[in-house]
Amino acid sequence: MDSSAMIAIAAAIAIAVSTIGPSMAQGKTAAAAMESIARQPEAANNIRSTLIIALALIEALTIYGLLIAFMLISRI
Amino acid sequence: MGESEVLFKLFGVLDVTGEVVTSWVIIALVVLFAFIGTKKLKDTPGFLQNILEVAIIKLENFFGDTLGKKSKRLKMCFPFLATMFIFIIISNYSGLIPGAGEFSWFHAPTSSLSVTAGLGIVTFCALHFFGFRTHKIHYLKHFVLPVFFMLPFLIIDEIVRPVSLALRLYGNVFGEEMVTEQLYEIIPIGAPIIMMVLSLLFCALQAIVFTMLTSIYIFEATEELE
Repeated sequence: MDSSAMIAIAAAIAIAVSTIGPSMAQGKTAAAAMESIARQPEAANNIRSTLIIALALIEALTIYGLLIAFMLISRI
Repeated sequence: MGESEVLFKLFGVLDVTGEVVTSWVIIALVVLFAFIGTKKLKDTPGFLQNILEVAIIKLENFFGDTLGKKSKRLKMCFPFLATMFIFIIISNYSGLIPGAGEFSWFHAPTSSLSVTAGLGIVTFCALHFFGFRTHKIHYLKHFVLPVFFMLPFLIIDEIVRPVSLALRLYGNVFGEEMVTEQLYEIIPIGAPIIMMVLSLLFCALQAIVFTMLTSIYIFEATEELE
């Protein structure tokens, strides 16, 4: 296997693995937020803004993986 | 990594790329719009003044939720936060205008890491500026409270903040553009629309997230020391 094929596989693994963890975390976060909105609809606005912040912070991890994948692809 | 071609050199040293030209156009349009809108202020607002007033009131309420409504802190930081918000949201949406990315002088500014890193550095400086302005020299106490050995961790935290803000914005906008381009190459007609409709939502969301995180950081920097 030549090095460009190795780099392509490395990029694929980088983005795939870095998606798994954050996606599970985001699912849990969203589920908890839905539950608390259903329980207390009058606090929906507060919960929504906190939810967006939490999702953005979790998403940063995926973006780091995406960045590494882009860096690898540019080296092929 | 997203190296864009240099259109011309300013003063012989500064590289001017398509992102820079587009952000100049955006800045010029926003300034022109604000100038025309506030030229003749009236008690019963006209069409343009009405739009601007509603936008500013909405933004003030939005930042008031985190910084405290009608607080001194909000009055101090609002111009900075609102400017950031307006620039980022228009930059993100400029990537959806037909022709963006096709011409060498027209790229969405936030799809380049250089631009978002610049925004991150500005945010970093503003954060500490507001902190020093509120607490004067006592602001340095932030780094050694509650215990002294927290110092290295808090310094790392301060450095990671602008880096993650910049990377998040760049990664999202650039990632969306890449996905749209790939979809276009698979099925040229129809398929990219799905991603572009999603982009309409995500572009606004990224601007909201960037400024909301900034406002939370500012809240932490300017809150009372115990």
